Amino acid sequence: MAALMSSAARLLIVLSALALLSAGCTHSAATSSDPLPTISPDDFTALIDASDVPIVVNIWASWCGPCRSEAPLLREAVAAYGSRIRFIGVDVNDTQVGAASFIAQYELDVEQYFDPRSSISTALRSTGVPHTFFFAPGGELRFAQHGIIDERTLAVQIDDLLR
Amino acid sequence: MEFTLLAAALLGIALAFATLRIERARGVTDRRDLVDIIIGASVIGLAVGRVGAMTVQGTSPFTHPLDLFFVRGGVDTGFASLGSLGYLIWTARHDFWPTVDLIAPAALAGLAGWHAGCVFRGSCAGTVTTLPWGIRDGAIARHPVELYAALLLLAGAIALVFWRQRLHLGVVASLALTIASGARLVTEPLRLGLGSSPAPWYVAGVVVGVAGVMIRAISARSRNITGS
Repeated sequence: MAALMSSAARLLIVLSALALLSAGCTHSAATSSDPLPTISPDDFTALIDASDVPIVVNIWASWCGPCRSEAPLLREAVAAYGSRIRFIGVDVNDTQVGAASFIAQYELDVEQYFDPRSSISTALRSTGVPHTFFFAPGGELRFAQHGIIDERTLAVQIDDLLR
Repeated sequence: MEFTLLAAALLGIALAFATLRIERARGVTDRRDLVDIIIGASVIGLAVGRVGAMTVQGTSPFTHPLDLFFVRGGVDTGFASLGSLGYLIWTARHDFWPTVDLIAPAALAGLAGWHAGCVFRGSCAGTVTTLPWGIRDGAIARHPVELYAALLLLAGAIALVFWRQRLHLGVVASLALTIASGARLVTEPLRLGLGSSPAPWYVAGVVVGVAGVMIRAISARSRNITGS
């Protein structure tokens, strides 16, 4: 019994050390960046309607686990198609500190707007986070994915937008 | 809850289970633990692949353990394969080749079911095609690439079920690895992706599988010569 306890204690110590090490390795809050700008829902929809390139809008929040899971996919999409598609992030019901930390951690170097009262997501008829919208030039909504978007769906929808 | 992924997983398990039932009916084996081994290898592979993907993507599994369940966010093929293989080696350490030979066709059928589960997930489509069976979305039709992979895997499973009696120990499992990797490799050009392609992993799978077939066949032949 004593040997079992000793093994369990050793395992606990190793796991705790790993957890601490891992926490130390993750990017912590990079709060020194500028706060995200806000935009009115009317201006936002006008921006989409006036665009002559396709737009992908991702509604997200730093407290949303699924958003964290799809963020690296969006970063890859931006890296691959950022020159031909305008990617826009809308951070809803969040804090500026949380937003800055999330953007820094996932290196989401795209146009971002802060939407603390979900007014933009309401205008887009978004019902939760994450939600990703694909707009053709001129503002026609081609596809919307509620929930985590997977790599294949994202790639196919981007391919559709570029045709 | 990812119900569509769950449906795909259940289809995979159902096909694996059906294949084992067929093998049992054909008198190949009466072992009852094979489904457990397949499910165990799948779950471990999925978990290790998800942890690998999270780590590579910059999310710590220790600080965000619940993110493990967001499988749709990505599963790293290489880590998943290594996880499944490690589990298999550990579980079947006392009779490795007989066990992996027994589960190989069922594992292929299970993979076929997982790929065919794209129907539930709405993610079967690949590159654009003009072929009549393309998945049509507006004016564009796309290759049902995941269904191609499922058909290849299922054909491989059926072939192994019927030919296993003529094959030496270890060759069935090696052929299954070759078929699984090859099916993904030949369909990969029809898939659309964003980042790095998993094709090098599939090439490695084919190479290891073919090497396994050759080594097991040569070793069986030399044993026969020595025996006679």
